[in-house]
Amino acid sequence: MDILMNGVGLVLNFETLLVILAASLFGIFVGAVPGLTATMAVALLVPLTFYMDTIPAIAAIVTTSAMAIFAGDIPGTYLNIPGTPASAAYVGESYALAKKGRAREALGINLVCSVFGGIFGTIVLIVVAQSLAEVALQFSAFEYFWLAVLGLSCSIFISVGSRTKAFLSLLFGILLSTVGLDMMSGAPRFTFGVPDLMAGINFIPVMIGMFALNELMSYYASKSEKKTISIVDNDSVFHNVPGHIKRYWRNMIRGSSIGTLIGALPGAGADIAAWISYGVGKGRSKESAKYGTGNIEGIMDASSANNSGISGAWVPALVFGIPGDSITAIVIGVLYMKGMNPGPTIFMDGSGLIYALFMVFILANLMMLPIGYMAIRLSKFFILTPSRVLMPIILCFCIVGAFAINNSVVDIWLMLIVGLVAYVLAVNDFPMAPAILGLVLGSVVENNFMSAMLRTGGDLTSFFARPISAGLGIAVILLWCSPLLIKAYRYQQHKSGSVY
Amino acid sequence: MRDFFAGIAFVIAGIVTIITAQQFPTLPSLQYGPSLFPSLIGGGFCLGGAVLALNALWLRKKAVAQEAHGNPSLAGSLPEKKNWAMLLPPISIVFYILASDYLGAMLTIMIIMFLLMLLRKTSPYIALATSLAVSSAIYFIFSRYLLVPLPQGLLLGGSLPWIS
Repeated sequence: MDILMNGVGLVLNFETLLVILAASLFGIFVGAVPGLTATMAVALLVPLTFYMDTIPAIAAIVTTSAMAIFAGDIPGTYLNIPGTPASAAYVGESYALAKKGRAREALGINLVCSVFGGIFGTIVLIVVAQSLAEVALQFSAFEYFWLAVLGLSCSIFISVGSRTKAFLSLLFGILLSTVGLDMMSGAPRFTFGVPDLMAGINFIPVMIGMFALNELMSYYASKSEKKTISIVDNDSVFHNVPGHIKRYWRNMIRGSSIGTLIGALPGAGADIAAWISYGVGKGRSKESAKYGTGNIEGIMDASSANNSGISGAWVPALVFGIPGDSITAIVIGVLYMKGMNPGPTIFMDGSGLIYALFMVFILANLMMLPIGYMAIRLSKFFILTPSRVLMPIILCFCIVGAFAINNSVVDIWLMLIVGLVAYVLAVNDFPMAPAILGLVLGSVVENNFMSAMLRTGGDLTSFFARPISAGLGIAVILLWCSPLLIKAYRYQQHKSGSVY
Repeated sequence: MRDFFAGIAFVIAGIVTIITAQQFPTLPSLQYGPSLFPSLIGGGFCLGGAVLALNALWLRKKAVAQEAHGNPSLAGSLPEKKNWAMLLPPISIVFYILASDYLGAMLTIMIIMFLLMLLRKTSPYIALATSLAVSSAIYFIFSRYLLVPLPQGLLLGGSLPWIS
């Protein structure tokens, strides 16, 4: 009980509540401006969280990401342009409703589903994470090695597009993680005589380069924006929502469940969760022909899924230190920066930190209702904010933010180089999520491999000597073989089909 | 063909990584040294890059064959026109690194903001007012509250009022 009260005390104080409020407004703004993503918002926040205590820092990230994912629906509804990639799946439905004069109704449903999805994901996080943490306490270097390899492998197999490109993107991230002094021998690797690189690549400039500079370059590569709104929105935000919930509550639960599950898989974020949930919803709907014409069902499925995915991604991040998506990858970096190691011990440290974290999730999602309502009423202001004024400001924040971590110009160079590489990779359709997971998990894989080898005198079979380790190892091998197995199965089906 | 060149670039990067990794010192007591993971990554770059390049060649060959049979649907897409404006953010960052020691962080970011806004056809008055207000705010927040020693610049000679 004392621990719980400690947790409550960590959240219900002026500083944390003020941070949550400010982060809510920031998240809504970033999400509602097309071209700015939730990950970019979080990457820009990190230099500021460096100066906060742990709970306000995490609260800022949780609140910003949740708000930005909802707010991405606003330009989607009015302009048919998703504010963040997580809204892309159902933007057609929201826009079709808006064209019928039901823009606010569509956004009202989006808002309620986002809140429901976020809280559903948080409840799963509270229930599952605690039980998983007890299992994870028995893990040693062998299990953590396989778990990290499993996470990295998932990021390749789940990513959209070419797996070869995802694999190369992942290797790029792992290569970045090897920079600095080697853990075992102390030998410098890829430091090129730069003393600032001896301690390894600083995580924050890399994040800013990958997610903010890369997107700034994409913006300047595009033609000038002209945003005009032709939608009439005199309808009520919440008037029809109870009726829709009564009719389609199953969609909300299904969407939230799918979103939490997908979010928990490393490499798959809110955007993939929304697409899969939308697809499943369409496949199971009795009115699937109405999809694409402004169907409420599609919105309810996918809008619940993307916000629950954000919470679901925290399960592996907190329990194992394996990020579920790009945002939790950043969070793990922040936790390390604060001297905290994500893992099962975080649940047992007795400081109430974990309860504070759960409370932050619930508070952030509940605050979405009033702030989201306000954002819907002020939609046009957010959408018409000119990017030509915003983007130079963001660029200057990137420069100063990268510098602020170590007061070093090397970090600005690092941001620049990583941003350029990320841009070149992104325009050639290389996914970025595997790279960031590679950066976070690369050292986990290497350090656990090395310490396991040191313990067993280089015996590789020891990775299959413990039951959980062997199980995880077999899961990894099966995952790697899955494309071949699927091909073989299809070939067999095809062959038997042509015989009969 | 972009994938072909990307694949080749990865193969070259892989070879360079492996060669560099071989120069890392090894300890006789350690069975697996500091070069193990970088070498594996280099190998992965070579393998993945080769697959990417060969796949691009195969697709190209397929597209040419389809075109020869009168079906141009798979033929190579038209080359995209490059927009060099994408280089504006990197150029601005290099300008900041080179100029901030002399001009100071506040003035440098103000110039960057103002010029970038003008280049995207923002009204000069709005650009000037916004860049002046925002650069002052950024400088004030980071220097005063977060105690980040942003360069004051030789030009202003440490004369900004809120820096002790």
